[in-house]
Amino acid sequence: MHKKGVGDFPFYCGINSLSELATKDDRVVVLNILGKESSGVTPISNDYSGGNIVFGTGPGKSGKSLMTKSGKIPVYNSIREGLDAGHKFNTVVIYLPPSGVKDGIAEAVKENPDLTKAIILTEKVSVKDSRVMRAICQANGVDLFGGNCLGLADAWNHVRLGGALGGNAPEESLVKGTVALFSNSGNFTTTIAVYLTTAGWGTTTSVSSGKDVYIQYGAKEFLYAFDNDDRSKVAVMYSEPGGYYEYGLKSDKPIVACVVGRWKARLSKACGHAGSLAGSGDDALAKEQWFMDYFGVDGIYTPQKPIFSKKGALVTNIAHIPEAVSKVMELNGQKPDFEPKGSLALKSWFGNNQGLSLPPELDIPVVEAANPYNEQIEALNKMVGAQHRRETLKDASGASMMDPKTQVSKIHSTSILDASLKTFEANLVFALTRVYPCEYGEKIANLALNMYVNQHGQPTLAAAQAARENGNSPNTVVSSAVAICGKKMVQKAMDASNALLELFQFSKMNDPREKFDYAEQLKSADKYKDALLADGEDHCAEKLATCLNSAGHSVFVQFVQDYAKANGGKLSTDALFAAVWTTLGWEALRTKKISKGTLGRLPWYSRIYSTIVGVSAPAERFTEDSIAGVKLEELIPNYSFTKTAFVTLLGRQPSESEFYEFQVLLGLIITNGPGTISAQGCKGAVSADGPEQPQRVQLNKAFIGFLTHTGFAHGGNGYEAAAFLIENFKGKGLKNAADTGHGLDLGAMAMEVANNYSDYKKKQKAIGNLDYAKLPCVNHPIFKGKDVNYDPREVFVQGLFKDKGINNVFLDFYHSLVEALFKAKVSKNVYCVNIDAVIAVILLKVVWADFNDGKMKEEDIESASFATFLFGRMIGCAAEIEDHTSRGKNMDTRTPASKCSYVG
Amino acid sequence: MQITGMLWGRKLLDLVEFPHSEVRGPELSVDEIKDMIKRHGQIFIKPLFKGGVGKKGKAGLMGRVDNITDALKEKERLYFAEHVDGFNKVKSDGVTYEGGVPADFEVYFSISESTEHRCPIMTITHHGGVDIEELGEDKLKVVPFDALTGLKAFHVSNALMELGAPTALISPLVQNLPKLWDLYNNYGMLMLELNPIRMQSGKGGRLAPVACDFKCAFDQDDPAWKRLNLPSHLFASDYSEFEQEINQLRTYQGQSDVFVMNDKGTITAPTFGGGANAMVTELLGEEATISSDFGGNPPYVKMNDISRISFKYWLPQSNVLFIIGGKANNTDIYETFRAMGDGLREFFQTHGPIPLFVVVGRGGPNVIRGMNYLQEILDSLGIPYRFFGHDSAMSEVINYALAVNEWMKNGGKDEIKAKLKI
Repeated sequence: MHKKGVGDFPFYCGINSLSELATKDDRVVVLNILGKESSGVTPISNDYSGGNIVFGTGPGKSGKSLMTKSGKIPVYNSIREGLDAGHKFNTVVIYLPPSGVKDGIAEAVKENPDLTKAIILTEKVSVKDSRVMRAICQANGVDLFGGNCLGLADAWNHVRLGGALGGNAPEESLVKGTVALFSNSGNFTTTIAVYLTTAGWGTTTSVSSGKDVYIQYGAKEFLYAFDNDDRSKVAVMYSEPGGYYEYGLKSDKPIVACVVGRWKARLSKACGHAGSLAGSGDDALAKEQWFMDYFGVDGIYTPQKPIFSKKGALVTNIAHIPEAVSKVMELNGQKPDFEPKGSLALKSWFGNNQGLSLPPELDIPVVEAANPYNEQIEALNKMVGAQHRRETLKDASGASMMDPKTQVSKIHSTSILDASLKTFEANLVFALTRVYPCEYGEKIANLALNMYVNQHGQPTLAAAQAARENGNSPNTVVSSAVAICGKKMVQKAMDASNALLELFQFSKMNDPREKFDYAEQLKSADKYKDALLADGEDHCAEKLATCLNSAGHSVFVQFVQDYAKANGGKLSTDALFAAVWTTLGWEALRTKKISKGTLGRLPWYSRIYSTIVGVSAPAERFTEDSIAGVKLEELIPNYSFTKTAFVTLLGRQPSESEFYEFQVLLGLIITNGPGTISAQGCKGAVSADGPEQPQRVQLNKAFIGFLTHTGFAHGGNGYEAAAFLIENFKGKGLKNAADTGHGLDLGAMAMEVANNYSDYKKKQKAIGNLDYAKLPCVNHPIFKGKDVNYDPREVFVQGLFKDKGINNVFLDFYHSLVEALFKAKVSKNVYCVNIDAVIAVILLKVVWADFNDGKMKEEDIESASFATFLFGRMIGCAAEIEDHTSRGKNMDTRTPASKCSYVG
Repeated sequence: MQITGMLWGRKLLDLVEFPHSEVRGPELSVDEIKDMIKRHGQIFIKPLFKGGVGKKGKAGLMGRVDNITDALKEKERLYFAEHVDGFNKVKSDGVTYEGGVPADFEVYFSISESTEHRCPIMTITHHGGVDIEELGEDKLKVVPFDALTGLKAFHVSNALMELGAPTALISPLVQNLPKLWDLYNNYGMLMLELNPIRMQSGKGGRLAPVACDFKCAFDQDDPAWKRLNLPSHLFASDYSEFEQEINQLRTYQGQSDVFVMNDKGTITAPTFGGGANAMVTELLGEEATISSDFGGNPPYVKMNDISRISFKYWLPQSNVLFIIGGKANNTDIYETFRAMGDGLREFFQTHGPIPLFVVVGRGGPNVIRGMNYLQEILDSLGIPYRFFGHDSAMSEVINYALAVNEWMKNGGKDEIKAKLKI
């Protein structure tokens, strides 16, 4: 039951020529016009087509409208209401959800006798609804398109009906020409149109047919209308497997067909024999054969083997379509519509090898993108540094994580085991810039960090000393000093950092260690005069400049000096200090690892780092020009910050092995992930200041957050193991903990401890006390259960020390102890010696000689142990603070009341 | 979504009161099998497959027995029988026992959708019980009919007369076959096939149709099949664990039509658009882990969910993350790239870094913003990448991804591992 249409189709088809498919006279109604999809696409369609949409519908939305550049499109509750308002239309476009599509068609057909076209954009319309809609439209003389299509477009008429053919800039793709385009894929309709322009071909009418079981406007109807369209000289048809739509096609004009999808046959399962009759036999191979038979060719067209006839060519790659069209049309005596536009060769718009050396065929250079994309990229390139999207960072971090499998934590994707091989100063820089400094970087970092360690005569030291004398723990002592390191203390240096950033951010300089002509920057620097020049006398500046110049070359350091020279020699220490940190952060900024904000904050972190190390020593260790007896003139230019920290903390020079052990120790403590109390403390402090306005975040307060979230149980507990070792080694005559010829029978000592512990444990169990004391630093909740257990982190450190020939009696004792515990049947297997033991034994070894000689008391060991923890953890917490400041949200660490519980 | 066999087929046939043979499931005891043989003279033992199995006519997947010894032998042979049809391999889990129906005529009948006629069609022949496509055209009848009015008695009657079917067949088939349209039309089917329907002689010699095998396919986009309350495990074998998880996101907006291509593949390619999907699937072949079409302008949350699930399953084994599509018409590239980029970062945060190379080929609205966002994430993760716009031939971009994959297999992966300190 169908109306009589054009041609001799066994069904209704009303389109005689492609020129009638999308015309200036078509008037359109859009159902569900205010839906998400339509409200984005419809305004562009309306504007491109000269305002052809008369109204839209949306139940309950009468009175609303959709804004377009061509005017407001009114919205009615229903088609009836729109018609009653005096509108007339012949085309309905449907954006309804699948269950409503059939009803939309029924409504449009029933209400509007003038309806001639219906276009369904909706995906996943059921087959049942498709066949019913087809029957309705057939009976009423309506041409149906889709579903799951992108509609129709005509480059000659400058009209698109339905969906988003040509995207948000239809003119870019819909270029007037002589190719009629029919595609099962909506995306490929546009993509093929763009590809065609590279061979100089434009389009007449483009049809996105959809690829549901029912293709309502199929290839046969398209070719019929193509033959009757004088504008169209050649057809391009893109077909996918499934359906007999292309079987037995014919046309008076040439066709280039593209069939893709041979592999897809593997993904579908035939259903019984009915599939063979109605469904299969229509796979890609079959379709290729249909076209080849029609074209009279015996193969597929490829640029390497162009097979084609006057009737056309078959390709299986859309990139080959433009060339095939040109070849076929050449045979038909037709030239392209216009000069080719661009090419389809590989052009990389963005790329980064990340330092890898790729083989030449893969190392495709990044080239300038075509207009207007090149302008957009250029605009983005002006966005210097990383642009972080803010997110809730409660219990989350972009800086650290702990691998639950290995229990090894990572900072900026670097395992703490690897970090422990780096120097203290390298890790301090890395925490903030996410890039390890080079040798030169470490040298200038040492200068910047050393120059502010001496706290003599400073209020910071006075505050710390007062706190210390009143019985506070090391973390509390340090907090009181850090509170004084407010922003004003480093404002000048931060201003200088920002000035350097402003001057150099759009320059082509990627590596400040290389020569760079900054004549332009020198000319424009006057507006930053206040930041870059000293206010008055600055005695340190020249000395610092000399040290920096002898360390190597930095564009920023040189620039600051040259600018000062050009301005009466007012060289500024703050500006040089800023130049150092800008040098250290530049690579990270250029590779978008850090933001501009981070770069500007680096001097503040530096001052806090130096202060924390400085005030951890008692006041008497400082004089105006020395620390622990080392002259500043010697220390600042020559000491690594690792050595400075050791000397400041312990008041003496380290031996070579002690220096190495100290460095490893600091690395191992860096982080245990964002869940640790210290990390939570500093993150909470940032969160409370509101990182969405990062300039308001008080970095020193965030460090106080970290410091106050350490304590006797977290950070100070390293002493527990030290105390245990002291208890067992005191009075045993051990003079040097590195001496392998110590003469002690560690096995016997360990056995004694194990037996005593066994007795103790039995007694406690007998009296019902299950909360008996555990031996510190043995066993681990993860590394257990095997006959002999190892903590891989401890194994790593032991290996390091072995390679360096470094011995540690206390560590050897711990290994004897775990074996003795097994022999004494305290443990069922040989426990591991865990990482906390490593930390304890390294520190105890360092202080053992002084302790043994009575120069150090037990409480001093506890303080030194705690302070060492603070040094190491300072690295990890600095990373957390900067990460949270850059990416976190205001008050994001709070716990909603609903998730809190009352346990009173 | 397909059903094969009578165990479940009979339940559907009961809905429209279409006669069928006695069918029992794998739970049958030896005594019960003996009893069935006694009552029917012979029984058919068939493997029990879940989901679609394709054609199985000549595969020897049926035992015809008239004694318990043979019955038990056939049970053992068929209980875990494997069947290969094309690229698909299925394994049975149990057998059905179906009472033999003595008959002189076997009828083939199906309803399906015809892309040639663009309406539903009935296919019928009284030369049934064989591979139907091997019959001559004059021996079967394909009848298109109106979707609004459905399959009518006269369609069946005319077809059988034109085929020259014995008159005794016509009346019982005309009475019973149109019922099957109700089953087909009301429960969202795409195909319904009964082969054979055996014409059993009843009282007074009158023939009655008895369905002896059943196959149907449901339209996933038609919720009507849910009214049947079929157990979900029936279709579970059609989908992998990954497909099942991602299919939960399936809505009419698309974006979650995903298939596993090769569970040992090394290129994971989130693909946008049906055309791109066909092309990418074609050119990547066995190298690809999944075949996907995430086009249709997915919102951020959905795309992020899809990425999260896809990455969880496939990234650990992948060398290349290949994001590919043509020049999008409507899909917001910024939103989709942001969702995938965040998904990738989340993967690295949760599972730790893996050696990966990212290749992108894409165009469309907000493409530069999208690429820039993804670029920043990749830079922060230290992953090498190349992004191509829509003005690079998609096939060339695919070839580039394949070349990267080869390089990764031959040492590139180790180089990235070393760089990422994995």
